[in-house]
Amino acid sequence: MSSNISSKILNFVKEFWIALSMRKVGVVGLAMFLGLVIVAVFAPYIAPYDPYARSGAPFQPPSPEHPLGTNDIGQDILSELIYGTRVSLFIGFLAAAIGTLVGALVGLAAGFFGGTVDNVLSALVDIWLSLPQLLFTIFLAAVFIKMKGVPMIYAIVIAIALTSWPAVARVVRSATLSIKERPYIEAARAVGLSNLSIIFKHILPNISSLIVAEIIYRASGAMLSEASLSFLGLGDPTTKSWGMMLHYAMARYAVLLGYWWWFLPPGIMISVAVLSVLFMGLSLEEYFNPRLRSS
Amino acid sequence: MTVRAHLTRRIVFSFITFFFIITLVFFLARLTGDPLAELENDPRMTPEVIASIKALFGLDKPPHMQYLDFLKNMFLYGKFGYSVTYKRAVEDVILEKLPYTLALLIPSITLSNYLAYRIGVEIAWRRTSKVSSALIVLSIFMSSVPYFWLAILFLYGFSVALGITPIFGAVSPGMSFSWTLEWFIDYLWHYALPFTVLTLRSALSYMLYVRNSTIDILGEDYVFAAIARGFSNNYVKYKYVARNALLPIVTVLGLRYAFIIDGAILTETVFSYPGTGRLVYEAIISRDYWLLQGAMVILAASVIIVNFIIDLIYMYLDPRVRRG
Repeated sequence: MSSNISSKILNFVKEFWIALSMRKVGVVGLAMFLGLVIVAVFAPYIAPYDPYARSGAPFQPPSPEHPLGTNDIGQDILSELIYGTRVSLFIGFLAAAIGTLVGALVGLAAGFFGGTVDNVLSALVDIWLSLPQLLFTIFLAAVFIKMKGVPMIYAIVIAIALTSWPAVARVVRSATLSIKERPYIEAARAVGLSNLSIIFKHILPNISSLIVAEIIYRASGAMLSEASLSFLGLGDPTTKSWGMMLHYAMARYAVLLGYWWWFLPPGIMISVAVLSVLFMGLSLEEYFNPRLRSS
Repeated sequence: MTVRAHLTRRIVFSFITFFFIITLVFFLARLTGDPLAELENDPRMTPEVIASIKALFGLDKPPHMQYLDFLKNMFLYGKFGYSVTYKRAVEDVILEKLPYTLALLIPSITLSNYLAYRIGVEIAWRRTSKVSSALIVLSIFMSSVPYFWLAILFLYGFSVALGITPIFGAVSPGMSFSWTLEWFIDYLWHYALPFTVLTLRSALSYMLYVRNSTIDILGEDYVFAAIARGFSNNYVKYKYVARNALLPIVTVLGLRYAFIIDGAILTETVFSYPGTGRLVYEAIISRDYWLLQGAMVILAASVIIVNFIIDLIYMYLDPRVRRG
């Protein structure tokens, strides 16, 4: 059984490699992404200082001791930047995964059951999509941050996930509609399988690649949302994230004082992270989304 | 479906959306905390005074009663209550800031939609040219750069390094509104940078959307037939290709007008521009329920109105919708 699962995972990885390597951007994206993962995992070994400790005088320009200078309370900016990779990747992928799974369940239900279920769920998706994205995410974050027992970082994750599911629901719904009509689903029905086991044993496996591709694609948007929220000051003020660094840079007049070493690097890192995921997502989506592949 | 049935369906859907948004915001807002919490830290405040202030804002009633009051005041009297931070009527606070946001966003959205449409169709038509590929790469890079950071770069470049544009505000400090050329020039001077960043960024990102919708049409047989019939390039491009790609484009580009307040938040934050985007953000943070509710009614109403206009444009553009 375990060898069965591991061979399945191996097949999955192989398929992804094929999908990614079909286009050059996919490979470039993967390389950039692996680089970021290494930085995030080995942050304590790569970072020259503890980003939470005062390691020098405040507002230092770049120097051999502090390659990117120090911030307003004397923390090393390069170390903040390195640790920031963790927060960005973590929030981005977790929010994208939750949002995609919720969207996938809604899409599966709408596509499979049709009729009233489909009408109600599709209307809900339409209403949700007519809400202002950023404002709604800010609002939900403010609500969840206030909830007792929810750590701030998860409040942000849930807020982003809750605004990103409807788009996934649409994609999964149309994929489910096309799979539903295939002969083996009819055969499964004929031998008397329940609706739930048809959905989870026969339809879900067929769209699992699409779902993983969606997660990766949505992660780029989730990372941008996280950056915007922290830049606005929503989020854990003590967590080192790139958006939060920019929030403090702006609040402490780094832009007006021309401290480029403070406000340039976080933006570059956000862009690199988003781009790496977007590159992978673009080539995966093209491979797994049948509508895009045919055209 | 007849036109009438179609419109009825859309209007019903619009009203559901409207009530969904304002109801959701009303009840969720009350989960963000007590707007008068700070009063309790003030030693001069006796519990009786605090209770009477709460009663003034209706906070002593259960939430569903507050909701009914809110609906009654809005529909019967056109009032949205008092802002707890500004200590003034909500409608006055919003109407004071709204012109700045509308004057910034409407021209920017219009210009960037036009540019996105024209350039998008053009690069779809010449999809193999070097300029097209360069623009697509630029567009992908642009959509990966966080928008607020792009605005910071512009602020640094033009206002700090070059010093040719102001660093904050919609007008110079101490300047109050008057119908004078002096005021208008000062206003435009502050307007230039936020307008440029907003327009540039959205033109480039929506351009890609227009291109992708248009490319789907290029493969159609009727386009090939139109070329074979010897029509000029421009005729085929706009009467056959763009015309058929237009419906989804109208929806996506048109809906931007409904989200004006949303689109203004980050711009107004970076450029310290006094508008409704920043106002709504601060209403959420300071738990000013009444200000938030008032702003959300405007937003929900604009979603409905814009959707309705898009529907009318649809009917004009698509005979299948028009004739049912």
